[in-house]
Amino acid sequence: MDRKKYKQLRVIVAFFVSAIVAQAVIRDRYLLASAGVLTGMIFMVLMRVKAKIRTDEREATVQEKAARMTYAIFAPTIGITAFLLLLPSKGGIDVFSKGEWLFTESLGMVFAYLTLFLIVIYAISYHFFNKRFGGGGDEE
Amino acid sequence: MKNKLKVYRAMHTLTQEQLADTIGVSRQTVNAIESDKYLPSLGLAFKITNLFKVKVEDIFIHEGEENDNEN
Repeated sequence: MDRKKYKQLRVIVAFFVSAIVAQAVIRDRYLLASAGVLTGMIFMVLMRVKAKIRTDEREATVQEKAARMTYAIFAPTIGITAFLLLLPSKGGIDVFSKGEWLFTESLGMVFAYLTLFLIVIYAISYHFFNKRFGGGGDEE
Repeated sequence: MKNKLKVYRAMHTLTQEQLADTIGVSRQTVNAIESDKYLPSLGLAFKITNLFKVKVEDIFIHEGEENDNEN
């Protein structure tokens, strides 16, 4: 199986998985949705192994840059959003502490924890990869 | 960084696809290297030069203090 055929098959599998998940969600069968996603993932892995697809180094560079940009955009956006959502309720503005605006505080808390989670994951993975690629050692 | 990959590939009558398959990358990567949009890793550069039985500096020419594959 060559790369082109692998890419075509991947599109077909993705199409079937999305169709199954959509049907499952419409019919309230969440177990079927999870099974569909799991089967799709297994199928993709098997296809990748069979096609002997290696991650191309240019592709890996593109992925690294895309991931870095995603983090650089997403972390501050979600952090600032959390701050702005929490500010009115913590700032003593009564209108945001009750009624239909009550959700802003909860949403702000969720966003704030998501920001923390993101930063923690980044810090852990940075530490891990830094060690793996020989960083941090001062001895000769 | 400039390179003569296209010249060497033509000399060996290889298509981008054939070269890509031989060195284990995608055709797009070969195309990106040839058009100076992507600087290959040292490992890939050696793979290419070993294939054509030349030195790295015969294909890849460093030109000053530019920042290739810049972040």
